[in-house]
Amino acid sequence: MAFQDDNPMTLDGLNLGQRAEVLAVTGHGSMSVRLLEMGFVPGVEVALIKRAPLGDPLELRLRGYHVSLRRAEARRVQITGVTA
Amino acid sequence: MSRPLRIAVAGNPNVGKTSLFNLLTGSRYKVGNYPGITVETREGTIRATKGWQPRADTPAPTLVDLPGTYSLTPISEDEAIAFRTLTGTIDQAAPDAVLLVLDASNLARNLYLALQVFELGLPCVVALNMVDLAADAGVGIEAKQLEAALGLPVVATVARGGVGLDALLHQLDRLGQGGLPKPAPRLVEPASSHTALRACLAKLEAGGVSPARARWLLAAVAADNLELCGASVDERERAASLDPRDLEQAIRSLVELRYAEVDRLLAQLPSSGQQPGQAGQAGQALAPAMARSAKIDAVLTHRVLGPLSFLLVMALVFQSIFSWADPFMGVIEAGIGALSELVVGALGPGMFTDLLTEGVLAGVGNVVVFVPQIALLFLFIGLLEDSGYMARAAFIVDRLMARVGLNGKAFVPLLSGYACAIPAIMSTRTIASFKDRVVTILMIPFMSCSARLPIYTLVIGSLFVADAPVFGPFTQGGLILLSMYLLSTVSALGIGAIYKRTLLPGPTPPLVLELPPYRLPRIRDTLHQVWDRTADFLRDAGTIILAVTIVLWGLLSFPQVDEAELGPGETAIERSVAGRVGKAMEPALEPIGQDWRIGIGLIGSFAAREVLVSTLGLVYGIENADEDDAPLREVIRDAKDEAGKPRYTRLSGIALLVFFVYACQCMSTLAVVRRETRSWKWPAFMLVSMTAIAYLAALLVFQVGRLLGLGL
Repeated sequence: MAFQDDNPMTLDGLNLGQRAEVLAVTGHGSMSVRLLEMGFVPGVEVALIKRAPLGDPLELRLRGYHVSLRRAEARRVQITGVTA
Repeated sequence: MSRPLRIAVAGNPNVGKTSLFNLLTGSRYKVGNYPGITVETREGTIRATKGWQPRADTPAPTLVDLPGTYSLTPISEDEAIAFRTLTGTIDQAAPDAVLLVLDASNLARNLYLALQVFELGLPCVVALNMVDLAADAGVGIEAKQLEAALGLPVVATVARGGVGLDALLHQLDRLGQGGLPKPAPRLVEPASSHTALRACLAKLEAGGVSPARARWLLAAVAADNLELCGASVDERERAASLDPRDLEQAIRSLVELRYAEVDRLLAQLPSSGQQPGQAGQAGQALAPAMARSAKIDAVLTHRVLGPLSFLLVMALVFQSIFSWADPFMGVIEAGIGALSELVVGALGPGMFTDLLTEGVLAGVGNVVVFVPQIALLFLFIGLLEDSGYMARAAFIVDRLMARVGLNGKAFVPLLSGYACAIPAIMSTRTIASFKDRVVTILMIPFMSCSARLPIYTLVIGSLFVADAPVFGPFTQGGLILLSMYLLSTVSALGIGAIYKRTLLPGPTPPLVLELPPYRLPRIRDTLHQVWDRTADFLRDAGTIILAVTIVLWGLLSFPQVDEAELGPGETAIERSVAGRVGKAMEPALEPIGQDWRIGIGLIGSFAAREVLVSTLGLVYGIENADEDDAPLREVIRDAKDEAGKPRYTRLSGIALLVFFVYACQCMSTLAVVRRETRSWKWPAFMLVSMTAIAYLAALLVFQVGRLLGLGL
């Protein structure tokens, strides 16, 4: 496990092609529950595949499928261990 | 005979559930609606095949197709319906069994829903679908291996090719034979370290709530959506008493426990290549099932080529409903015309004949004429949805729609509004939140539909020199027309943004959108959907449109007068109820530069905007003005008032154009809005607000124009 600082990096900070491990989903309410249930649970690997032509939303890969999230929603997913 | 077994068909979106349902039932099904919402479930009886016959002593099982969902947590209406059907409600018992459809190439996510279904403790058969695509992607698994891991019957299927159908039928049949011993619910149990989860579940279960339901209530509270689940007063109280911090931790633990169980199951499937994708493994960048799709996406979601191809696809859809529907609509209109002539020929002229031709047949025509546009739009939407492109379209335009406060899914309905609001409003069903759907529905009639064109051309042709060059290739007519389209688009977006912030406030809907692998659409499934939507329109909205057409005919025709009684220049329509109302409206029409003649036209055009042309023709005593409006244009251009000044100025023409940009002069739109929102509240609001906006806008144009001395 990588070290944890007070402000972990979030998913919207990934560069194209980079991968990282999910640390936690922050916040509460339906959006956080939805992110968890779509598979953003701690330990899962996520990769940033593409950005939409206007820069937002993002195309991500996790658990064998591709999903699109806006940057605002990606900000709820804390990550660690970024690799190219 | 005993009652037929009821089997619910559950699964994620994009797993081929509908194809499988259509194959198993032979596409004979009833579409069921839940009161107050438009989420549909379909119910059909399993059909005999060459390899399987229902036994004589028991009726064939019934299948209930649930909306495709990623989980049973009630975040949208779809999921709430799926859960309520699976658990049973007051008026509907829980199903006897579940047919769970899984995408063979994506068990790492599909098994999450599977675990939630297992928690319910219903007998279950698994269809491991699209095994061919999984094998192609190098992540194939054996049904036997999954069967061993799950302890449930698993059948490998390829729904599109009909592979595995008989084996599946035999398994479903077996469900009925054994008297269906209810398996114990398979729950993920919190470990002793999950204190928050244990505390929350204990509180919820204390009132005699089943463990499965307690888990569902927990997720519903955590998602702030308790109202969607029809919880009892006692359950609500228990849910409200949960400690918020415990709750936040509990839902995380619950989801993590389920995914840990998914990973444990995946680990039992050797050689699947579908390991859960924990960090640190040497995985590829792309999901294996997406390898081929990524090559297509290199173009379709490319930074430059993506938007270009999107525009191309939308132009094709738009063009098709705008012009390909035209010949069909022509045939329908000609057919109605021929029928009317037959009736006139058979019955001779008279009031009853008029009722039949101008009331009933015209009403049927007003309904059927929408069918080509509806069918074409849903054909395209169905094919694009099925192929996987619709998700990409939402991906590309989401940024723009987010500015209004909606997500990318609202784009296609809005665009379709340029052709016709009726199919456009019907296509808003893909929008998950009801509030956002209503906002989109309220925006659509502001988009300048094709029925406004005849009015634009009549007014421009009458009061302006349509082909007078302004600059370059642009003429007066073209520029006025362009301004009307721009005005309508900007207004629709602006009004949507306002409603979203005031009338129906809510956060911008999140976008959690699966980008599924591209697949060849199955045309038969799409055609079924096209038929469902068209039949739905004919049945529900059609009856209202027919009734209103007959009423309008009555208003424009009664009381009937003898032609000898008419004064010079007077037409029969002036003496009708509509004529009198039109004249009574004149004081209100004067400030926007119109007279009672336009007033009568407005009443007539409520049937459909383009009817303004033929109604004005009747007012001026011109037959068939809707086929060739040149004589009408001349009459309007030359019309003088009592003082001998032109009756209509260019300024009054522009005011009328602006009025029609905003006015909801279309009963069919209102009928469809009632159908889609299941209440008269929204169509009433739409009619009143749009008429008020139209009137105020026309008033502003006319009065400010006059103040500035623009008699034009």
